[in-house]
Amino acid sequence: MAGIVMSAHFPRRHVIAAVAKNVFRYLFQGAARNWARNFGSTAPALSSMTLLLLLSGLIGLTGFALYNLEVIEAGQASTLHVYLRDDADNTDVFTLQRELVGDGRVLAVGYTSKEDALKHAQSVPGLPALANASESNPFPASFDVQVRSLDDVAGIDALVRTNTAVDPMYPTSYDRGAYQRIQAVLLGIGVAGFAFLALLAFVAVTVTVNSIRAAIHSRRDEVAILQLVGAPRWMVRGPFIVEGAITGSLAGAVAGAITFGLAMAGIAEGAASFSQFAPGVTVSVAVVAAALVFAVGLGLGSGSSLLSVRKHLES
Amino acid sequence: MRPPAGTPIVQFNGVTRSYGSRLALEDVSFGLEAGELTFLVGPSGAGKTTLLKLINREIRPTTGEVWIDGLAAHDLKASHVAQLRRRVGVVFQDYKLLPRLTARENVALALQVGDLRVSDEEANERALDALEAVGLGDRGDAMPNELSGGQQQRVAVARAVVRQPPLLIADEPTGNLDADTAWGIMDLLEDIAAFGIAVLIATHNVEIVTRLRRRVLTLVEGRLVRDQPAGQTGRMAWLASS
Repeated sequence: MAGIVMSAHFPRRHVIAAVAKNVFRYLFQGAARNWARNFGSTAPALSSMTLLLLLSGLIGLTGFALYNLEVIEAGQASTLHVYLRDDADNTDVFTLQRELVGDGRVLAVGYTSKEDALKHAQSVPGLPALANASESNPFPASFDVQVRSLDDVAGIDALVRTNTAVDPMYPTSYDRGAYQRIQAVLLGIGVAGFAFLALLAFVAVTVTVNSIRAAIHSRRDEVAILQLVGAPRWMVRGPFIVEGAITGSLAGAVAGAITFGLAMAGIAEGAASFSQFAPGVTVSVAVVAAALVFAVGLGLGSGSSLLSVRKHLES
Repeated sequence: MRPPAGTPIVQFNGVTRSYGSRLALEDVSFGLEAGELTFLVGPSGAGKTTLLKLINREIRPTTGEVWIDGLAAHDLKASHVAQLRRRVGVVFQDYKLLPRLTARENVALALQVGDLRVSDEEANERALDALEAVGLGDRGDAMPNELSGGQQQRVAVARAVVRQPPLLIADEPTGNLDADTAWGIMDLLEDIAAFGIAVLIATHNVEIVTRLRRRVLTLVEGRLVRDQPAGQTGRMAWLASS
Protein backbone atom coordinates (compact mmCIF):
# COMPACT_ATOMS: atom_id res chain seq x y z
CA MET A 1 0.00 0.00 0.00
CA ALA A 2 1.80 3.08 -1.19
CA GLY A 3 -0.52 5.59 0.41
CA ILE A 4 -1.86 6.78 -2.91
CA VAL A 5 -5.38 5.87 -1.85
CA MET A 6 -5.27 8.50 0.85
CA SER A 7 -4.14 11.31 -1.40
CA ALA A 8 -7.39 11.89 -3.25
CA HIS A 9 -8.86 15.33 -3.75
CA PHE A 10 -12.12 16.88 -4.99
CA PRO A 11 -11.79 19.22 -7.93
CA ARG A 12 -14.29 22.10 -7.65
CA ARG A 13 -14.70 22.61 -11.38
CA HIS A 14 -17.53 21.25 -13.45
CA VAL A 15 -19.42 20.09 -10.37
CA ILE A 16 -22.85 20.72 -11.87
CA ALA A 17 -21.92 18.93 -15.09
CA ALA A 18 -20.60 15.96 -13.11
CA VAL A 19 -23.73 15.78 -10.95
CA ALA A 20 -26.02 16.00 -13.98
CA LYS A 21 -24.06 13.34 -15.82
CA ASN A 22 -24.04 10.99 -12.84
CA VAL A 23 -27.75 11.46 -12.13
CA PHE A 24 -28.54 10.80 -15.78
CA ARG A 25 -26.32 7.74 -15.85
CA TYR A 26 -27.41 6.11 -12.60
CA LEU A 27 -31.07 7.07 -12.75
CA PHE A 28 -32.18 7.23 -16.39
CA GLN A 29 -29.54 5.48 -18.47
CA GLY A 30 -29.35 2.55 -16.08
CA ALA A 31 -33.15 2.31 -15.96
CA ALA A 32 -33.46 2.40 -19.76
CA ARG A 33 -30.79 -0.28 -20.15
CA ASN A 34 -32.43 -2.52 -17.56
CA TRP A 35 -35.86 -1.91 -19.05
CA ALA A 36 -34.63 -3.06 -22.45
CA ARG A 37 -32.86 -6.05 -20.91
CA ASN A 38 -35.97 -7.11 -18.98
CA PHE A 39 -38.41 -6.45 -21.81
CA GLY A 40 -39.64 -10.05 -21.69
CA SER A 41 -40.91 -9.68 -18.14
CA THR A 42 -42.23 -6.17 -18.78
CA ALA A 43 -44.22 -7.06 -21.92
CA PRO A 44 -47.34 -8.33 -20.09
CA ALA A 45 -47.48 -5.14 -18.02
CA LEU A 46 -47.00 -3.04 -21.15
CA SER A 47 -49.80 -4.88 -22.98
CA SER A 48 -52.31 -4.76 -20.16
CA MET A 49 -51.58 -1.11 -19.46
CA THR A 50 -51.91 -0.22 -23.16
CA LEU A 51 -55.27 -1.99 -23.31
CA LEU A 52 -56.44 -0.27 -20.13
CA LEU A 53 -55.38 3.16 -21.35
CA LEU A 54 -56.89 2.66 -24.81
CA LEU A 55 -60.22 1.62 -23.32
CA SER A 56 -59.99 4.49 -20.84
CA GLY A 57 -59.45 6.93 -23.69
CA LEU A 58 -62.34 5.58 -25.74
CA ILE A 59 -64.66 5.32 -22.75
CA GLY A 60 -63.61 8.81 -21.72
CA LEU A 61 -64.45 10.23 -25.12
CA THR A 62 -67.74 8.34 -25.15
CA GLY A 63 -68.50 9.63 -21.67
CA PHE A 64 -67.74 13.17 -22.76
CA ALA A 65 -70.07 12.82 -25.72
CA LEU A 66 -72.79 11.33 -23.52
CA TYR A 67 -72.37 14.17 -21.03
CA ASN A 68 -72.86 16.69 -23.82
CA LEU A 69 -75.85 14.74 -25.00
CA GLU A 70 -77.29 14.85 -21.51
CA VAL A 71 -76.78 18.61 -21.36
CA ILE A 72 -78.61 18.98 -24.67
CA GLU A 73 -81.37 16.65 -23.52
CA ALA A 74 -81.69 18.53 -20.24
CA GLY A 75 -81.98 21.79 -22.15
CA GLN A 76 -84.63 20.32 -24.40
CA ALA A 77 -86.48 18.71 -21.51
CA SER A 78 -86.71 22.03 -19.68
CA THR A 79 -88.49 23.57 -22.66
CA LEU A 80 -92.18 22.73 -22.72
CA HIS A 81 -94.01 23.26 -26.00
CA VAL A 82 -97.65 24.21 -25.39
CA TYR A 83 -99.59 23.54 -28.60
CA LEU A 84 -102.44 25.95 -29.32
CA ARG A 85 -105.76 25.15 -30.96
CA ASP A 86 -105.99 26.40 -34.55
CA ASP A 87 -109.32 28.03 -33.66
CA ALA A 88 -108.22 29.46 -30.33
CA ASP A 89 -109.51 32.89 -29.50
CA ASN A 90 -106.80 35.57 -29.47
CA THR A 91 -107.94 36.79 -26.06
CA ASP A 92 -107.57 33.31 -24.61
CA VAL A 93 -104.13 33.00 -26.16
CA PHE A 94 -102.97 36.33 -24.72
CA THR A 95 -104.43 35.43 -21.32
CA LEU A 96 -102.55 32.17 -21.34
CA GLN A 97 -99.35 33.93 -22.34
CA ARG A 98 -99.72 36.48 -19.52
CA GLU A 99 -100.40 33.66 -17.08
CA LEU A 100 -97.25 31.83 -18.15
CA VAL A 101 -95.04 34.92 -18.11
CA GLY A 102 -96.29 35.79 -14.63
CA ASP A 103 -95.55 32.32 -13.27
CA GLY A 104 -92.45 32.33 -11.06
CA ARG A 105 -91.43 28.87 -12.30
CA VAL A 106 -91.14 30.09 -15.87
CA LEU A 107 -87.94 31.60 -17.17
CA ALA A 108 -89.09 32.70 -20.60
CA VAL A 109 -91.97 32.25 -23.01
CA GLY A 110 -91.49 32.21 -26.78
CA TYR A 111 -94.08 31.99 -29.49
CA THR A 112 -93.89 29.86 -32.62
CA SER A 113 -96.50 30.61 -35.23
CA LYS A 114 -97.96 27.94 -37.52
CA GLU A 115 -95.80 29.29 -40.36
CA ASP A 116 -92.63 29.12 -38.27
CA ALA A 117 -93.52 25.57 -37.19
CA LEU A 118 -93.92 24.56 -40.83
CA LYS A 119 -90.59 26.14 -41.79
CA HIS A 120 -88.88 24.35 -38.94
CA ALA A 121 -90.41 21.02 -39.92
CA GLN A 122 -89.20 21.49 -43.47
CA SER A 123 -85.65 21.83 -42.20
CA VAL A 124 -85.73 18.58 -40.23
CA PRO A 125 -84.48 15.52 -42.20
CA GLY A 126 -87.38 13.28 -43.22
CA LEU A 127 -90.12 15.79 -42.40
CA PRO A 128 -90.26 17.92 -45.61
CA ALA A 129 -92.19 15.19 -47.45
CA LEU A 130 -94.70 15.01 -44.62
CA ALA A 131 -94.88 18.77 -44.41
CA ASN A 132 -95.55 19.11 -48.12
CA ALA A 133 -98.00 16.17 -48.29
CA SER A 134 -100.91 18.23 -47.06
CA GLU A 135 -102.21 21.32 -48.73
CA SER A 136 -103.01 22.88 -45.37
CA ASN A 137 -100.41 23.51 -42.65
CA PRO A 138 -100.67 20.57 -40.17
CA PHE A 139 -98.32 22.10 -37.57
CA PRO A 140 -99.86 24.03 -34.67
CA ALA A 141 -98.72 27.35 -33.23
CA SER A 142 -97.15 26.96 -29.81
CA PHE A 143 -95.75 28.67 -26.76
CA ASP A 144 -92.19 27.51 -26.05
CA VAL A 145 -91.98 27.72 -22.27
CA GLN A 146 -88.50 27.68 -20.74
CA VAL A 147 -88.88 26.33 -17.19
CA ARG A 148 -86.41 27.24 -14.42
CA SER A 149 -86.26 23.71 -12.99
CA LEU A 150 -86.91 20.37 -14.66
CA ASP A 151 -89.01 19.44 -11.64
CA ASP A 152 -91.53 22.16 -12.55
CA VAL A 153 -92.21 20.95 -16.10
CA ALA A 154 -94.98 18.61 -14.89
CA GLY A 155 -96.62 21.44 -12.92
CA ILE A 156 -96.67 23.79 -15.88
CA ASP A 157 -98.03 20.99 -18.04
CA ALA A 158 -100.86 20.41 -15.56
CA LEU A 159 -101.55 24.15 -15.47
CA VAL A 160 -101.98 24.59 -19.22
CA ARG A 161 -103.34 21.18 -20.25
CA THR A 162 -107.02 22.12 -19.68
CA ASN A 163 -106.75 25.72 -20.88
CA THR A 164 -109.29 26.58 -23.58
CA ALA A 165 -106.56 27.98 -25.89
CA VAL A 166 -104.64 24.71 -25.81
CA ASP A 167 -105.10 21.84 -28.26
CA PRO A 168 -107.07 19.18 -26.28
CA MET A 169 -105.80 16.28 -28.47
CA TYR A 170 -102.10 17.00 -28.15
CA PRO A 171 -101.76 19.76 -25.51
CA THR A 172 -98.01 19.79 -24.78
CA SER A 173 -94.65 18.13 -25.58
CA TYR A 174 -94.41 16.84 -21.99
CA ASP A 175 -93.34 13.17 -21.87
CA ARG A 176 -93.42 11.99 -18.30
CA GLY A 177 -90.21 10.12 -17.44
CA ALA A 178 -88.39 10.60 -20.76
CA TYR A 179 -85.59 12.67 -19.24
CA GLN A 180 -85.42 10.41 -16.19
CA ARG A 181 -85.05 7.40 -18.48
CA ILE A 182 -82.13 9.06 -20.28
CA GLN A 183 -80.53 9.88 -16.95
CA ALA A 184 -80.98 6.32 -15.73
CA VAL A 185 -79.44 4.89 -18.88
CA LEU A 186 -76.48 7.29 -18.67
CA LEU A 187 -75.98 6.50 -14.98
CA GLY A 188 -76.02 2.78 -15.77
CA ILE A 189 -73.50 3.23 -18.56
CA GLY A 190 -71.30 5.38 -16.29
CA VAL A 191 -71.34 2.88 -13.43
CA ALA A 192 -70.63 -0.05 -15.75
CA GLY A 193 -67.81 1.87 -17.47
CA PHE A 194 -66.29 2.89 -14.16
CA ALA A 195 -66.46 -0.67 -12.79
CA PHE A 196 -64.89 -2.03 -15.97
CA LEU A 197 -62.08 0.54 -15.86
CA ALA A 198 -61.50 -0.09 -12.15
CA LEU A 199 -61.14 -3.81 -12.86
CA LEU A 200 -58.74 -3.14 -15.73
CA ALA A 201 -56.77 -0.66 -13.59
CA PHE A 202 -56.46 -3.28 -10.86
CA VAL A 203 -55.15 -5.81 -13.39
CA ALA A 204 -52.71 -3.29 -14.92
CA VAL A 205 -51.39 -2.13 -11.55
CA THR A 206 -51.03 -5.71 -10.30
CA VAL A 207 -49.18 -6.83 -13.43
CA THR A 208 -46.88 -3.79 -13.30
CA VAL A 209 -46.19 -4.24 -9.59
CA ASN A 210 -45.30 -7.87 -10.26
CA SER A 211 -43.05 -7.03 -13.19
CA ILE A 212 -41.15 -4.53 -11.06
CA ARG A 213 -40.96 -7.08 -8.27
CA ALA A 214 -39.45 -9.54 -10.75
CA ALA A 215 -36.96 -6.85 -11.83
CA ILE A 216 -36.01 -6.19 -8.20
CA HIS A 217 -35.59 -9.91 -7.60
CA SER A 218 -33.43 -10.42 -10.69
CA ARG A 219 -31.19 -7.50 -9.68
CA ARG A 220 -31.10 -8.15 -5.93
CA ASP A 221 -27.30 -8.59 -5.96
CA GLU A 222 -26.82 -5.29 -7.77
CA VAL A 223 -29.22 -3.59 -5.36
CA ALA A 224 -27.37 -5.07 -2.38
CA ILE A 225 -24.02 -3.82 -3.73
CA LEU A 226 -25.39 -0.34 -4.36
CA GLN A 227 -26.73 -0.23 -0.80
CA LEU A 228 -23.44 -1.62 0.46
CA VAL A 229 -21.38 1.16 -1.12
CA GLY A 230 -23.65 3.82 0.33
CA ALA A 231 -25.92 4.69 -2.59
CA PRO A 232 -28.73 6.96 -1.38
CA ARG A 233 -32.26 5.55 -1.40
CA TRP A 234 -33.36 7.52 -4.43
CA MET A 235 -30.48 6.07 -6.43
CA VAL A 236 -31.44 2.52 -5.48
CA ARG A 237 -35.19 2.97 -5.90
CA GLY A 238 -35.22 5.59 -8.63
CA PRO A 239 -34.25 3.36 -11.57
CA PHE A 240 -37.12 0.97 -10.82
CA ILE A 241 -39.57 3.86 -10.74
CA VAL A 242 -38.13 5.21 -13.99
CA GLU A 243 -38.54 1.73 -15.49
CA GLY A 244 -42.21 1.80 -14.49
CA ALA A 245 -42.52 5.29 -15.93
CA ILE A 246 -41.02 4.08 -19.23
CA THR A 247 -43.54 1.23 -19.36
CA GLY A 248 -46.41 3.56 -18.48
CA SER A 249 -45.42 6.33 -20.87
CA LEU A 250 -44.89 3.90 -23.73
CA ALA A 251 -48.29 2.32 -23.09
CA GLY A 252 -49.76 5.83 -22.78
CA ALA A 253 -48.16 6.99 -26.02
CA VAL A 254 -49.46 3.98 -27.98
CA ALA A 255 -52.94 4.13 -26.44
CA GLY A 256 -53.07 7.93 -26.81
CA ALA A 257 -52.09 7.71 -30.47
CA ILE A 258 -54.75 5.06 -31.16
CA THR A 259 -57.39 7.05 -29.25
CA PHE A 260 -56.52 10.17 -31.21
CA GLY A 261 -56.48 8.23 -34.50
CA LEU A 262 -59.88 6.65 -33.87
CA ALA A 263 -61.41 9.97 -32.79
CA MET A 264 -60.01 11.72 -35.86
CA ALA A 265 -61.19 8.91 -38.11
CA GLY A 266 -64.67 9.24 -36.63
CA ILE A 267 -64.68 13.01 -37.05
CA ALA A 268 -63.43 12.78 -40.61
CA GLU A 269 -65.74 9.92 -41.57
CA GLY A 270 -68.92 11.91 -41.39
CA ALA A 271 -69.01 15.14 -39.47
CA ALA A 272 -72.75 15.56 -39.72
CA SER A 273 -73.83 12.14 -38.54
CA PHE A 274 -70.93 11.89 -36.11
CA SER A 275 -71.79 15.09 -34.36
CA GLN A 276 -75.22 13.71 -33.63
CA PHE A 277 -73.79 10.60 -31.94
CA ALA A 278 -70.80 12.26 -30.27
CA PRO A 279 -71.65 15.88 -29.63
CA GLY A 280 -68.72 18.04 -28.48
CA VAL A 281 -65.99 15.68 -29.70
CA THR A 282 -63.70 17.86 -31.79
CA VAL A 283 -60.04 17.73 -32.88
CA SER A 284 -59.01 19.69 -29.77
CA VAL A 285 -60.95 17.31 -27.54
CA ALA A 286 -59.23 14.35 -29.23
CA VAL A 287 -55.81 15.97 -28.65
CA VAL A 288 -56.62 16.58 -24.98
CA ALA A 289 -57.90 12.99 -24.61
CA ALA A 290 -54.65 11.62 -26.13
CA ALA A 291 -52.53 13.82 -23.86
CA LEU A 292 -54.55 12.72 -20.83
CA VAL A 293 -54.15 9.06 -21.77
CA PHE A 294 -50.37 9.59 -22.01
CA ALA A 295 -50.24 11.41 -18.66
CA VAL A 296 -52.35 8.73 -16.95
CA GLY A 297 -50.02 6.06 -18.38
CA LEU A 298 -46.99 7.87 -17.03
CA GLY A 299 -48.59 8.26 -13.61
CA LEU A 300 -49.89 4.70 -13.52
CA GLY A 301 -46.50 3.23 -14.45
CA SER A 302 -44.57 5.35 -11.97
CA GLY A 303 -47.16 4.89 -9.23
CA SER A 304 -47.30 1.11 -9.64
CA SER A 305 -43.50 0.94 -9.53
CA LEU A 306 -43.40 3.12 -6.45
CA LEU A 307 -45.87 0.78 -4.76
CA SER A 308 -43.77 -2.23 -5.69
CA VAL A 309 -40.49 -0.63 -4.62
CA ARG A 310 -41.93 0.44 -1.28
CA LYS A 311 -43.25 -3.04 -0.71
CA HIS A 312 -40.42 -5.20 -2.00
CA LEU A 313 -37.24 -3.16 -1.68
CA GLU A 314 -35.66 -2.74 1.72
CA SER A 315 -33.98 0.49 2.57
CA MET B 1 -19.47 16.04 11.13
CA ARG B 2 -16.61 13.98 12.53
CA PRO B 3 -16.59 13.17 16.29
CA PRO B 4 -13.91 14.69 18.50
CA ALA B 5 -10.43 13.15 18.39
CA GLY B 6 -10.10 10.15 20.68
CA THR B 7 -13.74 9.15 20.25
CA PRO B 8 -13.97 5.47 19.24
CA ILE B 9 -14.86 4.87 15.59
CA VAL B 10 -17.16 2.04 16.73
CA GLN B 11 -18.86 1.95 20.11
CA PHE B 12 -21.29 -0.76 21.24
CA ASN B 13 -23.07 -0.05 24.52
CA GLY B 14 -25.03 -2.98 25.99
CA VAL B 15 -26.24 -4.15 22.59
CA THR B 16 -28.75 -6.97 22.44
CA ARG B 17 -30.27 -8.24 19.25
CA SER B 18 -32.90 -10.94 19.10
CA TYR B 19 -34.63 -12.70 16.24
CA GLY B 20 -37.98 -13.61 17.68
CA SER B 21 -37.26 -15.49 20.91
CA ARG B 22 -33.65 -16.29 19.91
CA LEU B 23 -30.91 -14.00 21.20
CA ALA B 24 -28.26 -13.44 18.49
CA LEU B 25 -26.29 -10.92 20.59
CA GLU B 26 -26.65 -10.31 24.29
CA ASP B 27 -25.44 -7.24 26.14
CA VAL B 28 -22.34 -6.65 23.97
CA SER B 29 -20.15 -3.63 24.73
CA PHE B 30 -16.82 -2.70 23.17
CA GLY B 31 -15.11 0.11 21.27
CA LEU B 32 -12.76 0.30 18.27
CA GLU B 33 -10.20 3.06 17.85
CA ALA B 34 -8.90 4.56 14.63
CA GLY B 35 -6.01 2.57 13.16
CA GLU B 36 -6.85 -0.50 15.22
CA LEU B 37 -7.04 -3.89 13.50
CA THR B 38 -9.30 -6.23 15.44
CA PHE B 39 -10.36 -9.80 14.83
CA LEU B 40 -13.86 -10.98 15.61
CA VAL B 41 -13.89 -14.70 16.22
CA GLY B 42 -16.29 -17.33 17.44
CA PRO B 43 -18.06 -20.47 16.33
CA SER B 44 -20.70 -20.45 13.61
CA GLY B 45 -23.88 -18.88 14.92
CA ALA B 46 -22.05 -16.96 17.64
CA GLY B 47 -23.34 -13.62 16.30
CA LYS B 48 -20.38 -12.34 14.25
CA THR B 49 -22.41 -11.57 11.17
CA THR B 50 -25.17 -10.02 13.28
CA LEU B 51 -22.59 -7.73 14.87
CA LEU B 52 -21.26 -6.66 11.44
CA LYS B 53 -24.81 -6.07 10.20
CA LEU B 54 -25.45 -3.83 13.20
CA ILE B 55 -22.36 -1.78 12.33
CA ASN B 56 -23.50 -1.41 8.71
CA ARG B 57 -27.07 -0.68 9.87
CA GLU B 58 -28.53 -3.57 7.94
CA ILE B 59 -30.39 -4.30 11.18
CA ARG B 60 -31.10 -2.35 14.37
CA PRO B 61 -30.32 -3.51 17.90
CA THR B 62 -33.24 -4.70 20.01
CA THR B 63 -31.77 -2.74 22.92
CA GLY B 64 -28.54 -0.82 23.44
CA GLU B 65 -26.61 1.71 21.40
CA VAL B 66 -24.40 1.41 18.32
CA TRP B 67 -22.30 4.46 17.49
CA ILE B 68 -20.36 4.57 14.20
CA ASP B 69 -18.01 7.50 13.68
CA GLY B 70 -20.29 9.70 15.75
CA LEU B 71 -23.54 8.52 14.12
CA ALA B 72 -26.16 6.79 16.26
CA ALA B 73 -26.76 3.71 14.09
CA HIS B 74 -29.32 2.39 16.57
CA ASP B 75 -31.47 5.45 16.04
CA LEU B 76 -30.77 6.25 12.41
CA LYS B 77 -33.68 6.90 10.04
CA ALA B 78 -33.81 4.72 6.92
CA SER B 79 -33.25 7.80 4.78
CA HIS B 80 -29.90 8.44 6.50
CA VAL B 81 -28.52 4.92 6.33
CA ALA B 82 -26.56 5.66 3.14
CA GLN B 83 -24.76 8.43 5.02
CA LEU B 84 -23.55 5.87 7.56
CA ARG B 85 -22.59 3.31 4.93
CA ARG B 86 -20.33 5.84 3.23
CA ARG B 87 -18.32 5.84 6.45
CA VAL B 88 -18.00 2.07 6.48
CA GLY B 89 -16.04 0.09 3.88
CA VAL B 90 -17.24 -3.51 3.63
CA VAL B 91 -15.45 -6.59 2.29
CA PHE B 92 -17.26 -9.89 1.93
CA GLN B 93 -16.12 -13.48 1.52
CA ASP B 94 -17.76 -13.63 -1.93
CA TYR B 95 -16.37 -10.23 -3.07
CA LYS B 96 -19.73 -8.88 -4.30
CA LEU B 97 -18.42 -7.21 -7.44
CA LEU B 98 -20.80 -6.19 -10.21
CA PRO B 99 -20.09 -8.69 -12.99
CA ARG B 100 -20.96 -6.27 -15.82
CA LEU B 101 -18.42 -3.67 -14.74
CA THR B 102 -14.65 -3.74 -15.00
CA ALA B 103 -12.46 -3.71 -11.90
CA ARG B 104 -11.91 0.03 -12.30
CA GLU B 105 -15.63 0.71 -12.81
CA ASN B 106 -16.51 -1.33 -9.72
CA VAL B 107 -14.19 0.84 -7.65
CA ALA B 108 -15.30 4.07 -9.31
CA LEU B 109 -18.95 3.17 -8.67
CA ALA B 110 -18.36 3.40 -4.91
CA LEU B 111 -17.01 6.90 -5.37
CA GLN B 112 -19.74 8.24 -7.61
CA VAL B 113 -22.81 6.79 -5.93
CA GLY B 114 -21.55 8.19 -2.66
CA ASP B 115 -20.82 11.61 -4.09
CA LEU B 116 -22.39 12.67 -7.37
CA ARG B 117 -19.96 15.58 -7.65
CA VAL B 118 -17.16 13.18 -8.54
CA SER B 119 -16.56 13.41 -12.29
CA ASP B 120 -15.71 10.42 -14.47
CA GLU B 121 -12.12 11.61 -14.84
CA GLU B 122 -11.61 11.95 -11.12
CA ALA B 123 -13.39 8.68 -10.35
CA ASN B 124 -11.23 6.82 -12.87
CA GLU B 125 -8.06 8.41 -11.57
CA ARG B 126 -8.86 7.61 -7.95
CA ALA B 127 -10.07 4.10 -8.79
CA LEU B 128 -6.81 3.37 -10.59
CA ASP B 129 -4.87 4.78 -7.64
CA ALA B 130 -6.76 2.45 -5.31
CA LEU B 131 -6.21 -0.53 -7.61
CA GLU B 132 -2.53 0.40 -7.81
CA ALA B 133 -2.39 0.44 -4.03
CA VAL B 134 -3.80 -3.09 -3.78
CA GLY B 135 -1.40 -4.31 -6.46
CA LEU B 136 -3.81 -4.40 -9.40
CA GLY B 137 -2.86 -1.21 -11.21
CA ASP B 138 -2.52 -3.08 -14.49
CA ARG B 139 -5.86 -4.96 -14.24
CA GLY B 140 -8.23 -2.02 -14.16
CA ASP B 141 -9.94 -2.97 -17.42
CA ALA B 142 -10.36 -6.63 -16.51
CA MET B 143 -13.84 -7.97 -15.89
CA PRO B 144 -14.36 -9.72 -12.54
CA ASN B 145 -14.61 -13.15 -14.19
CA GLU B 146 -11.15 -12.60 -15.70
CA LEU B 147 -9.61 -12.18 -12.25
CA SER B 148 -8.61 -14.83 -9.70
CA GLY B 149 -10.35 -15.01 -6.32
CA GLY B 150 -7.51 -13.18 -4.63
CA GLN B 151 -7.54 -10.46 -7.27
CA GLN B 152 -11.30 -10.04 -6.98
CA GLN B 153 -10.93 -9.70 -3.22
CA ARG B 154 -8.28 -7.03 -3.76
CA VAL B 155 -10.67 -5.15 -6.02
CA ALA B 156 -13.29 -5.42 -3.26
CA VAL B 157 -10.78 -4.00 -0.77
CA ALA B 158 -9.92 -1.16 -3.17
CA ARG B 159 -13.66 -0.41 -3.51
CA ALA B 160 -14.05 -0.45 0.27
CA VAL B 161 -11.25 2.03 0.95
CA VAL B 162 -11.32 4.28 -2.11
CA ARG B 163 -13.57 6.76 -0.30
CA GLN B 164 -11.23 6.77 2.69
CA PRO B 165 -13.79 5.61 5.28
CA PRO B 166 -12.79 5.68 8.96
CA LEU B 167 -13.89 2.04 9.33
CA LEU B 168 -13.46 -1.13 7.30
CA ILE B 169 -15.34 -4.30 8.22
CA ALA B 170 -14.55 -7.63 6.58
CA ASP B 171 -16.68 -10.76 6.87
CA GLU B 172 -14.47 -13.82 6.29
CA PRO B 173 -12.36 -11.99 3.69
CA THR B 174 -10.02 -14.96 3.28
CA GLY B 175 -12.67 -17.65 3.42
CA ASN B 176 -12.52 -18.44 -0.30
CA LEU B 177 -8.77 -17.97 -0.75
CA ASP B 178 -5.76 -20.26 -0.55
CA ALA B 179 -3.22 -19.68 2.24
CA ASP B 180 -0.74 -17.56 0.27
CA THR B 181 -3.44 -15.36 -1.21
CA ALA B 182 -5.09 -15.03 2.20
CA TRP B 183 -1.86 -13.75 3.70
CA GLY B 184 -1.58 -11.24 0.87
CA ILE B 185 -5.05 -9.91 1.72
CA MET B 186 -4.16 -9.77 5.43
CA ASP B 187 -1.00 -7.78 4.66
CA LEU B 188 -3.16 -5.37 2.72
CA LEU B 189 -5.65 -4.99 5.59
CA GLU B 190 -2.78 -4.38 8.02
CA ASP B 191 -1.48 -1.64 5.73
CA ILE B 192 -4.91 -0.06 5.64
CA ALA B 193 -5.08 -0.06 9.45
CA ALA B 194 -1.64 1.52 9.51
CA PHE B 195 -3.08 4.47 7.62
CA GLY B 196 -5.50 5.15 10.45
CA ILE B 197 -8.55 3.18 9.40
CA ALA B 198 -10.19 1.02 12.05
CA VAL B 199 -10.41 -2.52 10.66
CA LEU B 200 -12.68 -5.24 12.06
CA ILE B 201 -12.28 -8.71 10.55
CA ALA B 202 -14.66 -11.57 11.29
CA THR B 203 -12.80 -14.81 10.62
CA HIS B 204 -12.47 -18.49 11.37
CA ASN B 205 -8.81 -18.52 10.34
CA VAL B 206 -7.01 -19.43 13.58
CA GLU B 207 -3.56 -19.28 12.01
CA ILE B 208 -3.97 -15.69 10.90
CA VAL B 209 -5.46 -14.61 14.24
CA THR B 210 -2.70 -16.32 16.21
CA ARG B 211 0.23 -15.13 14.12
CA LEU B 212 -0.78 -11.48 13.77
CA ARG B 213 -1.29 -11.05 17.55
CA ARG B 214 -3.83 -8.28 17.15
CA ARG B 215 -6.78 -7.50 19.39
CA VAL B 216 -9.32 -10.35 19.37
CA LEU B 217 -12.99 -10.15 20.30
CA THR B 218 -14.48 -13.58 20.99
CA LEU B 219 -18.20 -14.15 20.68
CA VAL B 220 -19.86 -17.31 21.95
CA GLU B 221 -23.61 -17.78 21.77
CA GLY B 222 -24.12 -14.05 21.29
CA ARG B 223 -22.05 -12.95 24.27
CA LEU B 224 -18.67 -11.21 24.15
CA VAL B 225 -16.76 -13.68 26.31
CA ARG B 226 -13.25 -12.32 25.75
CA ASP B 227 -11.64 -9.06 24.64
CA GLN B 228 -7.98 -9.94 24.19
CA PRO B 229 -5.68 -6.94 23.71
CA ALA B 230 -3.13 -6.82 20.90
CA GLY B 231 0.21 -8.52 21.56
CA GLN B 232 -1.22 -11.37 23.55
CA THR B 233 -1.85 -14.93 22.49
CA GLY B 234 -4.96 -16.36 24.03
CA ARG B 235 -6.61 -19.73 23.97
CA MET B 236 -9.04 -20.42 21.21
CA ALA B 237 -11.55 -22.11 23.45
CA TRP B 238 -14.38 -21.24 21.06
CA LEU B 239 -12.90 -23.68 18.54
CA ALA B 240 -14.22 -26.50 20.67
CA SER B 241 -17.76 -25.53 19.81
CA SER B 242 -17.24 -24.43 16.20
